[in-house]
Amino acid sequence: MSEVIIILALNGLVWGLIIALIALGLSIIFGLLEIINVAHGDFFMVGTVLAWAIIYFTGNFWIAFIIVPLIGFALGAMIERGVMRPIEHSADLTIVVAFGLSLILQESVRATFGSTPQRILDPIGKTFPIVGFQYEVYRLFAAGVAIVAIAGFFLFLHKTKFGTWMRAVRQDREMAIAMGVPADRIYIVTFALGTSLAMLGGVVAAPITSVEFRLGLDVLPMCFIAVIIGGLGNLPGTAAAAILLAFMEGVMTAYVEPTSARIASLVLMSAVLLLRPQGIFAKARA
Amino acid sequence: MLLFAGIPVAALLLLPMVLAEFQRIFVAEIFIWGLFAMSFALVYGYGGMLSFAQAVFFGAGCYGFNLGTFYYGFNTWGAIISAVVAAIALAAPIGLIATRARSHHFLIVTVIFSVLVYMILSSGHWRWIAGPYVTRSLTFVPEVPLGFVTLSYSNEIVVYYFTLAFVTLTVGLCALFVSSPFGRALVAQKDNEMRAQLIGLNIILLRFTVFVVAAAVAGLSGALYALLARYTNLEFFSWSYSGLAVVMAVIGGVNSLIGPFIGTAIYMVAAEHLSRYFESFTILIGIILILVVRYTPMGVWGLIQIFLKKASGA
Repeated sequence: MSEVIIILALNGLVWGLIIALIALGLSIIFGLLEIINVAHGDFFMVGTVLAWAIIYFTGNFWIAFIIVPLIGFALGAMIERGVMRPIEHSADLTIVVAFGLSLILQESVRATFGSTPQRILDPIGKTFPIVGFQYEVYRLFAAGVAIVAIAGFFLFLHKTKFGTWMRAVRQDREMAIAMGVPADRIYIVTFALGTSLAMLGGVVAAPITSVEFRLGLDVLPMCFIAVIIGGLGNLPGTAAAAILLAFMEGVMTAYVEPTSARIASLVLMSAVLLLRPQGIFAKARA
Repeated sequence: MLLFAGIPVAALLLLPMVLAEFQRIFVAEIFIWGLFAMSFALVYGYGGMLSFAQAVFFGAGCYGFNLGTFYYGFNTWGAIISAVVAAIALAAPIGLIATRARSHHFLIVTVIFSVLVYMILSSGHWRWIAGPYVTRSLTFVPEVPLGFVTLSYSNEIVVYYFTLAFVTLTVGLCALFVSSPFGRALVAQKDNEMRAQLIGLNIILLRFTVFVVAAAVAGLSGALYALLARYTNLEFFSWSYSGLAVVMAVIGGVNSLIGPFIGTAIYMVAAEHLSRYFESFTILIGIILILVVRYTPMGVWGLIQIFLKKASGA
C-alpha cells in the first residue's frame, strides 16, 4: 500500500507542477488585464491537440515541444490585440468574450481533430525502477520542464526590464504609464505569455493524458481552485497552491475515489473563500 | 406603446394556428430555454453577478420534477412545485457562499460549484437522486389536470399554451420583482456598490435573494423541459449549459427580461438551420457573441428599442 501511495504522490506532484504552469498563465493575465480567462483551459487543450498533430505529421515530439509554445505566444498576442483590447474596460464583457473564444476553440478542434480521444506515445519511452514499480522517465522530464518554466517566468518577472514593467503596470497602471512604461505592449506580451504557458503545459501534459477537445473543461476548474486558494493575482501563491492541491489529491486517491479527492479540494476552496478571501499565502505576495 | 405590447402578445396567442405540429413544440422549447436565459439576465443584468451556475438549477428542476413523480407520485402541478423547491434548496447553500464573493471570485465560485454538483451526480453515488433519471416513473401520465377538465400533454396545442401561460406568468412576476423597490435597490448595488452600501442597502441580502429567485426561475424552466421532453440528462448540470444561457441572454440583451427570449429564438432558429449545412455552427455562435459584445452590448433587444423609439418619435 505504501508503495502505491508513493507512486500516486509522485503522479500528483508531476501533475501539480503542470497545473501550476497553466494556473500561472491564468493568474498573470488576471493580475494585469483583470480578465478571467475562461478560455484558458481551452488554450491548454489546443496545446495538447497541436502536439498530437505535429507528432502525427512529423513523428517527432521535440518539434512540437519547441513550436507549440511559440504558436501560443502568437495566438495570445493576436487575441489580446484583436479581440480583448476594444473591451478591456469592462471585466464582465471580457469574460463573455473569453467564453465565446472557448466555444470557437473547442468547436474548431472538434471539427478538425474529431471528438475521439487520442493518445500520444511516451516520447522518451524509458522507465526506471522505484519502490518496486517501473516509473516513466518522461513524467520526471515533464516535472523538470514545468519547474524550469516556472523558475524562468519568475526570473523574467523580477530580473528583466520588461518583467519589472509588468509588475509596475500591475501595481499602478496610471503611474506606470506616466513614467513612460509602454502599457499597451505589456498587455499584449502578458496575454501572449499566459497563453504560451497554457500551451506549453498542453504539450508537456499531452503524453500523460488523453487528447480531446473537452480537456479544457477539466483543467480550468483545477486552475481556478488553485488561483483562489493561492490568492487571485498572487503568482507564487497560485503556483504553490496548484502543486499542493494536486499532491493532496494524488495521495488521497490511494484511499478514496478521484471524485471524493476533488470534492475535498472544493471544500478546502470554499473554506478559504469564506475565511481568507485574499488566499492563504497573502503575506507571501510578490 | 400599448400597441407595441399588444401586437406580440396577440401574435404569440395566434401563432399555433399557422404552425405545423413539430413547430409548435419547437416554439414551446424556445419559451423554455428563453426562460432559462432570462434567469441568467436576472442574476447578471439586474444583480450584476456573472453566474455560470444557472445550469445547475435548470438540472435541479429537471431532476426535481422526476423525483417528485418517481418517489411521491406527484401529478404535473406537484412535480413542478417539487422542481422549483429542488432548485431553491440547492441555490440557498451555494448562494450563501457565492454571494459573499467579490465580482471576480463570484464567477469562479459558480463555475466550481457547477463542476462539484456535476461530479457528485456523475460519480455514481447518491443513486436515489440519479435513479429517477435512469428509470422514470411508470405511473406518471403527462397531463394537466385543471379540475373540471384534464388536458393531455401529448397534444402539442396543450404543450404550447401551457408553456406560454407559465412563461408569461413568470415573466410578469419577474417584471414586478425588478420594478419593485427591491429591484431598484438591486440595480443600484450593481451600478455603484459603495454608494448603495452607504445609503444603507444590505447588499449581500439583495444578491442572495436575486440569486435564489433566478435559481427558482431556472428550476421552473427545467421542470417545463422535463415535462415537455420526458427526458433529463446529466449534461444539463454542466457549466457549458450555463454558458448557453450566457450566450442567448447576451445576444438578445441582458439588461431586460424580453431580450433573453429574443436571443434564444435567434440562437435556436440559427442552430436549427445552420446545423444542417455546417455541423460546427457553434464556431459561428462564438463569433457572433464576440461581435455582439463588441458592437452592441445591449443586444438585439437594445437595437429594437432604439429603432422603436426612432419610429415612434418620427
